[in-house]
Amino acid sequence: MKKSLALVLICLGSLALIALYLFWGHPSSNIFWQVRIPRLVLTLVTGMSLAAIGSVYQLMLANPLAEPYILGISSGSAFGSIIFASLGLYILMPLGGFIGALITMVLVWRLAQRRGAFDRGRLIIAGVIVGMFFSAGISLMMYLRREDTVLILNTLMGNLGRIFSYSEYRVFVLLSAVILILLIWLYLKSRALDIMSSGDLYAASVGIQVHRLRQHIFVVTSLIIGIVVSYAGIIGFVGLITPHIMRLLGFSRQNRIYPGSLLFGASFLLAADFLAKNMAGIELPVGVITAAIGCPFFIYLLLRK
Amino acid sequence: MKHLYYSALILIILSTLCSCHSPKQDNAGRYVVLSPEIAEIIVALGAGDKIVGLTQECSYPPELLEKEIVGNFGAVKMEQILNLNPELVFTSALEQESIAEDLRKLGIRVESSYPKNLAEMQTEILRIAVIIGREAKGRELVSSIAGQIQKVKEMAEGRPVPKVYLEIYRDPLMSVADNSFVGELIETAGGDNVFQTLERDYSRIKAEDVIKANPDIMICYSQDSLSDIISRKGWGNIPAIKNQMVFFEGDIDPDLIQRAGPRCVIGMIKLNEIYALWERLTQ
Repeated sequence: MKKSLALVLICLGSLALIALYLFWGHPSSNIFWQVRIPRLVLTLVTGMSLAAIGSVYQLMLANPLAEPYILGISSGSAFGSIIFASLGLYILMPLGGFIGALITMVLVWRLAQRRGAFDRGRLIIAGVIVGMFFSAGISLMMYLRREDTVLILNTLMGNLGRIFSYSEYRVFVLLSAVILILLIWLYLKSRALDIMSSGDLYAASVGIQVHRLRQHIFVVTSLIIGIVVSYAGIIGFVGLITPHIMRLLGFSRQNRIYPGSLLFGASFLLAADFLAKNMAGIELPVGVITAAIGCPFFIYLLLRK
Repeated sequence: MKHLYYSALILIILSTLCSCHSPKQDNAGRYVVLSPEIAEIIVALGAGDKIVGLTQECSYPPELLEKEIVGNFGAVKMEQILNLNPELVFTSALEQESIAEDLRKLGIRVESSYPKNLAEMQTEILRIAVIIGREAKGRELVSSIAGQIQKVKEMAEGRPVPKVYLEIYRDPLMSVADNSFVGELIETAGGDNVFQTLERDYSRIKAEDVIKANPDIMICYSQDSLSDIISRKGWGNIPAIKNQMVFFEGDIDPDLIQRAGPRCVIGMIKLNEIYALWERLTQ
């Protein structure tokens, strides 16, 4: 009863948020359609993706601290898009991010294999190390290209205020559709993930092709992160805390946690971006806001339990 | 015997360390300049030959290109500066504040100058002139600048005032406030800078606000191209973009309006020409 009430409240809250987000400050119809709607789509897709992947990783890696960026994909993606930006190819930044994510993904996956077998611990270590390597690359770029410092900071702290050109927007909508399909695919794997969390041997005994499934999930999530980071930069906390909040609300099975995370992640990021946009005269980095709201909220939930 | 060796060793090391004192040789009239605008001012005061070291950004006038480079605006090589044995190092604000602090710790005389508007620029030119012993030349330069500013104001008087949007960065969008140096030039030359107040002189802005402000002229220093600007979602109806009143680095050199130096009057005249072009084509 309590669970469904919470879900209904989150649903209503997110609808109210969307309305507030779109109509705040009486925008003209041009601004409404050309600036706010694209930003809304970007925010929702980003929030959903981060929270969804967070929930999948926490289960798959059996690590409550797992979050979408733990496997280094985000740093690789950010590095790729920053390289493209510093070459003056601002329009192609998402492509750079995507290439960066792909390279990181292949690298991390290869490093995680040990004599053909998958090792959870190795995967995390490989992810952290590769991530650190690309972070160093980003720091180097920031040092060498002073004129692009704002852009790099933006990528590192999250920026949902991207200006789209008409053709860019078409590509983005297409990629968002791809993300949605991949997110649905991940939902369909909820049961298998639950079973896998009880051990590979057991999962294999009930007919799950553990290695292949893990590889597929890894590729799919990397793709999603690559796309999201290249458009919105790195936004922390959403992927980490959302699944925990779902669990604290009383959900325990992945096929409940996952859709709940999707919903909550999207509304949480929307609220954060609304504050980032309107709280101060200057637009604040959204990653700072997610951390600023996320931490105390999370502590409150922990203490209440 | 062993003790003797050690004592001798310590004695040698100590005496070497003690002999490390700063070489106070004759260094009068040797200047290292880290700020591009101060470099321009010093050359305009006729003391360009006294500059012995510069940062990469100090590229105007061309005679400076032959001087030794000691780093870039945000990162300099301290040892190289020390080697040049300068009487005085000129720095700007921002990243250079900490560099100035470090130089002072090394016992070097540092003069900082970061004028935020035209009036401050004129007092700073005078101050620098006094420091380098060119006071008369300084007065002459300042009075000529003041005269030219007056002329620009007269040129702008009674003309229609275009709304001007200056984009200094694309992702995120950044522009200038009225009370920044560039903002003051835009206004003095007879335009209306669209962002009156911002959190900082050079600050992040929202795309929505640019569309709402409806600027007549856009000056684009964000490395974007006209076709890309036209294709930005929701920007097509902005008069500046509809009428292709978008100007780039090739049309007006950023150094002319972003540096608080003697060339800013040329920058204002260029701005005024752009406004006149806008008036001819659209009014």
